[in-house]
Amino acid sequence: MKAFAAVLALSFPLAALAQAPSDPQIAGIVVTANRIDVDAGKLAKARSKNKEVQKFAQQMITDHTAVNKQAGALAKKLKVKPEESDTSKSLKQGAKENMANLKKLKGPAFDKAYVEHEVAYHEQVLGAIDKVLIPSAQNAELKGLIEKVRPAIAAHLEHAKMLQESLGKKS
Amino acid sequence: MKFAPERLEVAVGDTVTWTNRDLVPHTVSAARAGVESGNIAPGASWRFTARRGGTIDYLCRYHPGMKAVVVVR
Repeated sequence: MKAFAAVLALSFPLAALAQAPSDPQIAGIVVTANRIDVDAGKLAKARSKNKEVQKFAQQMITDHTAVNKQAGALAKKLKVKPEESDTSKSLKQGAKENMANLKKLKGPAFDKAYVEHEVAYHEQVLGAIDKVLIPSAQNAELKGLIEKVRPAIAAHLEHAKMLQESLGKKS
Repeated sequence: MKFAPERLEVAVGDTVTWTNRDLVPHTVSAARAGVESGNIAPGASWRFTARRGGTIDYLCRYHPGMKAVVVVR
C-alpha cells in the first residue's frame, strides 16, 4: 500500500508552471532533478545489501553528477543563473518525502521501494524533457544539452525497469 | 549511451580511438580479451592497438546494454 501511494504522489509538477519555464528556470529544474537522484543514489548505495541495486545506485551518482557538472559549466558560460520555480520546489518536496519514506525501510523492502521510485522518477523526467524542457528552451546550447541528456535518462529508465523485474522475481 | 559503430573491423596493428561524446563517463571493457580503458570522462579519448587477431566483445562497465564488438583480422 505504501509503495503504491508513493508512486501516486509522485508526479512531475508540470501543472505548477502556468507557462513555459524560462532558461534560468530550466537550468534550475535540471540541477535540482540531478541532485535529487544523486542523493537518493547515495542513500541506496549505503543502505542496500543488494549488489545490483548498489551498482545501479552508483551509476545514478556517477551519471547525474557528470550531467550537473556539464550543466553548471554551460550555465556559467551562458551567464544563466539557475532559478527556483514552483516545479523545482515541488521536486524538492517530493524528494524530501521519498527520502523520509526510504529511511524507514531496509533490506528487500528498501530495494523495492527505491527502484520503484527510480522507475517512476525517470519516467516523469523523460516526459518533462520531451514535453516541456526541450520545447521551451530558448538558448540553443541549453536545448542541445538537454537533448544530449535524454539518452542517459532513457538508459537509466531501462536499467531501473530491468532491476525492478529481477527484484520482483526474487520475492 | 551507445558505441558507434557497434561493429568495427580492423587489421592487426591498427589503433582504435574511442572518443566519449556523451555527458557521462564510460568504459571500454573486455575482460576476456584483457581490454580495460578505465574511466573515460566526457570529452576524453582512449586508444587501443590491436596486436592479435580475434573478436573483442566489449561493453561499458557503468551502463548495462552498452555493448559493441571489434573484429581484428
